[in-house]
Amino acid sequence: MRWQKGSVAICLGLIWLSLGQVSQAADDPQAREIVDGVARLFISQSSIATVEMQITKEDLQRKIMMQFWSVGESNILIRIRSPQEDAGTAILKAGGKIWYYLPKANRTVKIPASMMMSPWMGSDFTLNDLVKQSRLTNDYVIVTSFDGQRDGVAMSEYTLTPKPAAVVVWGKIILEVRHADHMPVRQRYFDEDGKLVRELTFSEYKTVSGRLIPTRLVMRPTGQTVEQTTITYEKIIFGEPISAETFSRKNLKQ
Amino acid sequence: MSRRLLRLAWRNLWRNPRRTLIAMAAIGLGYAMLLFVACLMAGLRQQMVESGTDLVLSDAEVHAPSYYPDRPINQTLGGRDGTDVSALVAAIAADPGVEAASPRVYGYGLISAAHQSVGAQLLGVVPDQEQKITVLQSRMVKGSYLTGAVPKGVVMGDKLATTIGVEVGSEIVLLTPATDGSTGNDLYTVVGMFHTGLDAMDRDLVLMSLASLQDLLRLSPGRIHEVGIKLHDNDITAATKTAVALEVQLSKSFPVRVRAWPELAPELADYVQFNRRVTFILFLIFFLLAVMGIVNTTLMAIVARTRELGMLLAVGMRPVQLVGLIVAEAAILAGGSLVLGGALGSPVLWYLQIHGLYLGGSRGAISLGGVVVGPLWFGRQDFTAYTQAAVGLAVTAVVSALYPALRAARFRPTEALRKV
Repeated sequence: MRWQKGSVAICLGLIWLSLGQVSQAADDPQAREIVDGVARLFISQSSIATVEMQITKEDLQRKIMMQFWSVGESNILIRIRSPQEDAGTAILKAGGKIWYYLPKANRTVKIPASMMMSPWMGSDFTLNDLVKQSRLTNDYVIVTSFDGQRDGVAMSEYTLTPKPAAVVVWGKIILEVRHADHMPVRQRYFDEDGKLVRELTFSEYKTVSGRLIPTRLVMRPTGQTVEQTTITYEKIIFGEPISAETFSRKNLKQ
Repeated sequence: MSRRLLRLAWRNLWRNPRRTLIAMAAIGLGYAMLLFVACLMAGLRQQMVESGTDLVLSDAEVHAPSYYPDRPINQTLGGRDGTDVSALVAAIAADPGVEAASPRVYGYGLISAAHQSVGAQLLGVVPDQEQKITVLQSRMVKGSYLTGAVPKGVVMGDKLATTIGVEVGSEIVLLTPATDGSTGNDLYTVVGMFHTGLDAMDRDLVLMSLASLQDLLRLSPGRIHEVGIKLHDNDITAATKTAVALEVQLSKSFPVRVRAWPELAPELADYVQFNRRVTFILFLIFFLLAVMGIVNTTLMAIVARTRELGMLLAVGMRPVQLVGLIVAEAAILAGGSLVLGGALGSPVLWYLQIHGLYLGGSRGAISLGGVVVGPLWFGRQDFTAYTQAAVGLAVTAVVSALYPALRAARFRPTEALRKV
């Protein structure tokens, strides 16, 4: 009996300790800053990019070429250049809404939130991944879960768990960042049951317009041997002025 | 049993016509009641199954093995290259159990009008053939069903139309992931709206021509997802049997799965089982009532006839013959009663089958667990149940006469004769 009471006390103590650690880490401004930095890697006052998306499925290979224009994170325009079937399709994020311009129907369509999480263009990315740029630091509690050498590189691992009130789809995100330059290496997405769902790896870090960014992003759904989607930034310019016209619905039809 | 015994039994029955007629009325009415219950329950079963299968599901569906239930758009019948659709449909329609067959393509996507976009289920059909296997065309509330006149016309649920704010004649855009990974998109015209009473369909379903959905999904004309089938007999066992046979037959050309409605809509099959059980319990209750009536009448008759039976024994009838006599009386009585009950019941059964029972309700049909019922409750002839009830009642009448008969056989003639 006595022993049991003692162990309960120890347990409570441990829980208290770990809680203390979590809340302390959650408020760790440095972790917060680094994660925020990763989330904002491609966001700038303005950016223009040429991007190649290579989709590999068991029975399908597709290459999509597209161009991105963005001002901050609330105005984004994507134009698909190839392949032929999709060329001319444009996606606009403006005023908190997402619009799709369909050249075949010659119509502009508003995309409901429910479609944001479905695979985009047959890839492993969602429309949400491309245009939402949700601020991880707003929605997630950040804990440093590892600090040290991994594969010969000094890096930190941050575990992000959603805040109680946050409306997010992931149950947990684990982000690995290099110590030296705060560049992301790998981001793993887990569902609400704690199961790994997909894994995003970053590589080919390059300095563009004075900014260091990973120019190659590979998304792999878990349990797939062949399936993956690679995004390659072929060209990206930061800081070039873009007229407000660019993000108007009228401009979608081109 | 000798003829003499039968003649004696017949005469005995008419020695006291009132008693016999009362017994006949008890058994006959009991039988009529059982017929009524069986007919209504079979009708309810049929109506539930039909309303579950007639709108979209159909009695059986032919798919590529890996297509159902996830319905990935690239899993077409006959694989990547597809198949000769009209030959496949003809081969299915040639099966003796099949009434009609119709090819189908499924998709899902975004339906968008001027200001609103929502997700929807897309179903591509050949209108002429589809109308032979489902009855959606009879549920149109605005405009018309699909016609060849408007090749890019669509028909949708009335609630879906309200949600996106379109009328007959409005233009809509459909946006869907196509089989080649591109985004299929095109303009269509709303030609009609249906109301089925089932929310899932009224809110979610867009019907269009097979060719235009194939075009949207970038499927070649030989690629379809499904052949829907209407069967001559869609009873659970019959439907499953036909599906199995058809699967064996069709699998000779390329791998397919044929699923009958009990597999496609297990909840509907569960309902049928549930309904059968309820019918059985109701049967049991009415049966017990009928049995009590029979036992009561026979027992009373035997007691009242103690003197008469004692006399028969006294003049030399053997106990076995006496038992035979009483059982024969009961059998004749039961047979007559069943004929009477059947005669009384059949006009009612006929009426139920043709005109149905009006259940009322101001809003017409109601949807219950995914199927639409009412407001008319039609009966359906369930001859198996009728026969079972008849046999059951006849056996009961005879068996319930056995006990008093055996008692009478043990009478000592002298004692029996002394009774009044």
